[in-house]
Amino acid sequence: MEDFIHSESVDSDLQLKVTISREKLVENVNHVIKAVSSRTTIPILTGIKFVASKEGIELTGSDSDVSIQSFIPLEENGIENATVDIPGQIVLQARFFSDIVKKLPGDQVDLEVDSRLMTRITSGSSEFNLNGQDAEEYPHLPSIREENSFNIRTDVLKHVIKQTVFAVSTSETRPVLTGVNWNIQNGKLSCVSTDSHRLAMRTISIETEDNLEKSNVIIPGKSLSDLAKILDDSGSDWVQIIITDNQILFKSNHLQFYSRLLEGNYPNTQGLIPQESKTEVILSTKSFLQAIDRASLLAREERNNVVKLKTLNDNTIEILSQSTEIGRVFENVSTKSIEGEEIRISFSAKYMMDALSKIDATEIKINFTGAMRPFLIRPVDEQDILMLILPVRTN
Amino acid sequence: MNQSRVIFHIDMNSFYASVEMARHPELRGKPLAIAGKVEDRRGIVVTSSYEARAHGVKTTMQVWEARRKCPQLIVKTPDFDLYRKVSRQLFDLLRTYTEKVEKVSVDEGYMDVTALASRHHPVKLAQEIQQQVFHHLQLPSSIGIAPNKFMAKMASDMKKPMGITILRKREMNQTLWPLPVDEMHGVGQKTAEKLKKIGLQTIGDIAHYPKPAFIEQFGKYGEKLHDRANGIDEREVDPQSEHEFKSISQSITLPKDLTEEEEVQPVLRRLAARLERKLKEKKSMSYQLSLSIRYNNWRNVTRVQSVQQPLQTEEEIYQRAIAIFYQHWNGQPIRLLGITVQSLEPMNKATKQLDLFTYEKDAQKEPLYDTLYSLEKKFGPSAIHLGWKEDPRDQK
Amino acid sequence: MNWRDVQSKQHKVAKILTNALKNGRLVHAYLFIGDRGTGKKEVAYQFARSYFCPHSDGIEPCGQCSECKRILSGNHPDLMVLKPDGRTIKKEQVANLIKEFTYRGVESDKKFFIIEQADLLTPQAANSLLKFIEEPQSQTVAVLLAENRYQLLETIISRCQLIQFTPLSQSDVESHLTNQGISKNIARLASALTQDVQEAKALCEEEWFANAIASVIHFMEDIYIRSNHAIITLYEEFSLQFNDTVKLQTGLDLIIIWMRDLLNLHLDKLDEIVYIDQMEKLKQQLLNVSIDSVVLGLSLVLEAKRRLDFNSHPLGVMEQLALRLQEGAGSYV
Repeated sequence: MEDFIHSESVDSDLQLKVTISREKLVENVNHVIKAVSSRTTIPILTGIKFVASKEGIELTGSDSDVSIQSFIPLEENGIENATVDIPGQIVLQARFFSDIVKKLPGDQVDLEVDSRLMTRITSGSSEFNLNGQDAEEYPHLPSIREENSFNIRTDVLKHVIKQTVFAVSTSETRPVLTGVNWNIQNGKLSCVSTDSHRLAMRTISIETEDNLEKSNVIIPGKSLSDLAKILDDSGSDWVQIIITDNQILFKSNHLQFYSRLLEGNYPNTQGLIPQESKTEVILSTKSFLQAIDRASLLAREERNNVVKLKTLNDNTIEILSQSTEIGRVFENVSTKSIEGEEIRISFSAKYMMDALSKIDATEIKINFTGAMRPFLIRPVDEQDILMLILPVRTN
Repeated sequence: MNQSRVIFHIDMNSFYASVEMARHPELRGKPLAIAGKVEDRRGIVVTSSYEARAHGVKTTMQVWEARRKCPQLIVKTPDFDLYRKVSRQLFDLLRTYTEKVEKVSVDEGYMDVTALASRHHPVKLAQEIQQQVFHHLQLPSSIGIAPNKFMAKMASDMKKPMGITILRKREMNQTLWPLPVDEMHGVGQKTAEKLKKIGLQTIGDIAHYPKPAFIEQFGKYGEKLHDRANGIDEREVDPQSEHEFKSISQSITLPKDLTEEEEVQPVLRRLAARLERKLKEKKSMSYQLSLSIRYNNWRNVTRVQSVQQPLQTEEEIYQRAIAIFYQHWNGQPIRLLGITVQSLEPMNKATKQLDLFTYEKDAQKEPLYDTLYSLEKKFGPSAIHLGWKEDPRDQK
Repeated sequence: MNWRDVQSKQHKVAKILTNALKNGRLVHAYLFIGDRGTGKKEVAYQFARSYFCPHSDGIEPCGQCSECKRILSGNHPDLMVLKPDGRTIKKEQVANLIKEFTYRGVESDKKFFIIEQADLLTPQAANSLLKFIEEPQSQTVAVLLAENRYQLLETIISRCQLIQFTPLSQSDVESHLTNQGISKNIARLASALTQDVQEAKALCEEEWFANAIASVIHFMEDIYIRSNHAIITLYEEFSLQFNDTVKLQTGLDLIIIWMRDLLNLHLDKLDEIVYIDQMEKLKQQLLNVSIDSVVLGLSLVLEAKRRLDFNSHPLGVMEQLALRLQEGAGSYV
C-alpha cells in the first residue's frame, strides 16, 4: 500500500493509463479468457495481455495451442469506448482481472500501471491494486502479412468445420490424423479429415488476391471446434485467414483466433479415394438416415456398431442389424435407382449417421466397389463434399 | 448316454420388462415397453410386458405404432447394465441347485438335474426353483422339463408366464408332433418355407420323413433337425460353454537371455504364428492381448491391451505384441517371453472395422467371399457357414 | 552465466557444445550425465539461449533480448521443460510433453526440450518419447539430464549424444563453504553430502541440519554402544528429526558417512574422516564393533535407502534397520 501511495504522487512514473467502458471491457475479457487455461506450464499464460495504443485496446488470452485476441477501437459508430492517456502494455492475472471487471460498480474503468507493474483499477468508488507482469514476457504471436490471406464467409467456414472435424482421429497413435488437413490450390480450399476408418472431404472456392498455394496445413481438430464456438460471437459475415509456417490465424471483425499447426506430413488421401464404382445407389438422405438410425438401436450393443446393407431386385435395399442379446431388426428402404452389381456390405451405423447428417442434399448417391473396399457418399450432383467409409468385415 | 437324463430349460418371461417392474414396483400390472430413444417416436420396441402384448404391442414395432395400439403404454429406455447384473444374480441362484447350469443368454439357460431327480420329483424341483427366482428377484419364468435340451426348450415355450411343462418322449405324438414347423426351435423362416414347399407342415412330418432323403435335402443341419423332431438330442449341458476358450497362451523360455531388440522380434513372431494356428483351430478371434516379459532377475511384467478390431493372423498378433514390448521393456536381459490372446469370440461373430490405409490386404480375400455367396444362394443359407448366416435362435 | 563460465567449470562440455553451435551441427538429442551440482541444468538453459537468441554471434546469447529473458523466466513458449513433480514424473506431464512434440512451435519452427531427471522416466514414458527423439519433425533439440546413465534405457542412451559432466571435488565445495564463514565440521559434512555448492550452503544455513547431525551421532552411539536404546531413540528423537522421506534420506547419508569414518579410522586414513570433531566417539565405537559388522551395516543402510525410494513406510524401514544393525553389532559384543 505504501508503494501505491508513492506511485500516485509521481504521475510521470506511469507506464499506462486508460479509461475504458466497463461493458466493453467485460465483453472482450470474456472473449479472450476462453483461451486461458489454469493448467498451463508457462506462468505468463495465466494472464491476459492488455495493450493500449493510439488505435485502441487489444486483449490477448492463450493456452499456447490456441490464442484469442480481441480489439476494442477507441471509437465505434460514434460511441466512445475508451481513451488512452498513456499507451503501454501489461499482463494481468486472468481470473482475478476478469472477476474484478465483472463486479466493478461504475460504467467506466480507469486502469493505471506504474513502473513496478503495480496496476490500479478504479471504477466508481471502488479501487483494486493488482500485480502485473511484464508484457515482454508474453508469447509473440505471428505478425499478419495481408498478402497471403484469403476470405471465407463465416457461415460457410462454420459449415466446413462441422463437415470435417467430426472425422478426425481421437487416438494419439498417429498425431497428424488428429487434425484437419487444409490445402489451397487454384482458388480452391480443400479440407480433409480421417481417423482411418472414415474420411470427410470438403472443397470450397475462396477469394484470394494472388494465386495462393498452401499444402499440408494440418489444423488440430480441437482448435477448429473451439473456433466454431468463437465465430458465433464475432458477428461478422466474413473471416480472413492467414497461414504462417507454424500457426493459422482467423480474423473476424475485432476477434482474432490463432491456432498452432500440427507437425508432420498428412498422408496422401487423394490416392486412397476409389475412382471407379461397381454399384451406384441413389436414394433419399433422410429416409436412409432414419433407417440406419433405427437399425443402430440394436447395432450399438455390438462391437463395431454393425449394420448390413443388401441391394434387392426391385430398387430397394435391405438394412439389417442384429444383437445376440436383444434380437434383430430389418427394414426395406426404397431407392431412386440401383445400378451395377448387387452388393452386400456391413458398416458402422455410427459412421454412416455421422456422414449422412453432414450432407445437406435431399438425395445422395452411394458408390460401392466391393464389400471390403471403401465406399463413397455424395450429394447427387455436387462434387464439393465427399464422405468415405470403410466397411466392416463380417465372417 | 444310456441313462435317461432330466434337463430343465428355464426361460425368463419378457425379461427386460420384468426386471424393470421388479425395480419399479409402481409399473407392475401396467403395459410397459422397453424401447430405444423414448423421446424419438420412431424408436423401436425391444420387448414389452404381457399387459402390453395383450394390446397388440410387438417387438420391433415403432413406438408411435405401439402407442396407437395401446395409448396408456409406458415406454422406458433399456438399462443393459442392470439387466446383465440381474442376469448374473439369476444364474448364481440357479447354480445353488447344481453346478450343471449352462447360460445361453441373459435370460435363458439349461440345467441338468439328473442327479437331483433321484431325491426330488422334477416337477416339485421346478416349482421350487421357479418360486425362489420369483421370491428373490421378483421375476416370472417358465420351465420346461424333458430328457434333452431340445425338448426342454420346446417345453418351456408351451406355457408362459410362470409355466412348468413336462415333455415326455412317449407323449411326443400328442405334444410335439402336431406343432407347425415354424415353431420348431432351430427352424428359421427360410428353412420353414423350404420345408413347407416339400409338404412338411408339422414337426411330426419331419420326424416321419425318411432320414436319408431329408439329409440329402438339408445337409448336416438337416440330420440334426430330423433327430430332434424324433426327440433325439445328445448335447450335454455345458457349464463352460460361455467361458469356452477364454484365453490361449504361448510362451518361450529362452535358451539364453536376450538383450537386443533384433533378437526379440523373431521370438514374438514365432509365438504369434503359433497363436494364429491355435485361434484358427478354434475358429476364434481375440479382442485382448497380453504380453509377459520375465527378466533374468525373475521379475515378471505382464501388460494387457484391449483392441477394437479382433486379432487372428500372425501379423496382427505380432504387431500388437511388439508395440506393447517397445512400450514396456526396461532394457534388461530377458529370460522368457509369452503372449496370451483372450476375450475370444467365435469367428463368425467377430467383425473387423477395415482401415483406410490397410484395407487392401483384407480386400484380397473378397473374391472368395463372392464365391461363397453365390454357392450359398444356389444351395441355401445353411450350406455354407459364412456370410449372411442367420442365427436360428433369433428366428421364430 | 555465459559459455566462459561453463568452460571454467566444465571445460570439455563447453567445448563440445560451442563447437556444435559454431558449426551449426546440432544433433536432435543430447544426454547430459553428471552428479548433482555439476551444472547440467544451467548448461542446458544456456544452450537453449544460444539456440533461440537472434542476436547471438552464433554461440554466445545476448542475454538481453526477450528470447534470452523468457528462457530464464520460464515463459518461453517453445522451450518445454519436464521436471519431476515431487519424486516422480507424472503420466500427464509426459503426455503433455509428447503433445508438444506433435505440434509446431508457437513462435517459430524451433523447439527446445529439457527433460530433467530423465532417469525417473518409466520405461513406458521413455519409450514413447523415443519415437520423437528419433524422428524429430521440424528443428527440434532435446536435452535429457540424468545423474546416472545406468538407470536409463539403453535405447535412450544409444539415440542421444552423451555429454559427460566432470564432478566437482568434495574439497572444492568444502573450502568454498569455510570461506563463507561456515564452521569446518559442518562444511565438511555438507560437502560430503552434495557437490552442489548452492545446495550445500543452503543445508549449512538450516538449523535442522545441525540438529540432524547431533541426532545421527546419538543414534550411532545407541546402535554400537548402548544397543538396547536404539529403538527408543528412534521413536523419541530420530523419527521426529527426520520426519519426511527426503530428510530421512539425508539422515541415512549421514549414517553412511559415519560408518565410512569408522572404516577410514580402522585403516588409519585420518585425512578422509568427515566427522572430525567426533574422533573420541569414533574410536570408542571401533573398540566395540567389528569391521565386518560395519561393512554389513553399510549394506543394510544402502538397502534401507533403496526401500525408501520405493515408497516403503519410512518408520518401518528404520525400525527394521535399527534392529538389524543392532543384531550385527550385538553378535560381536
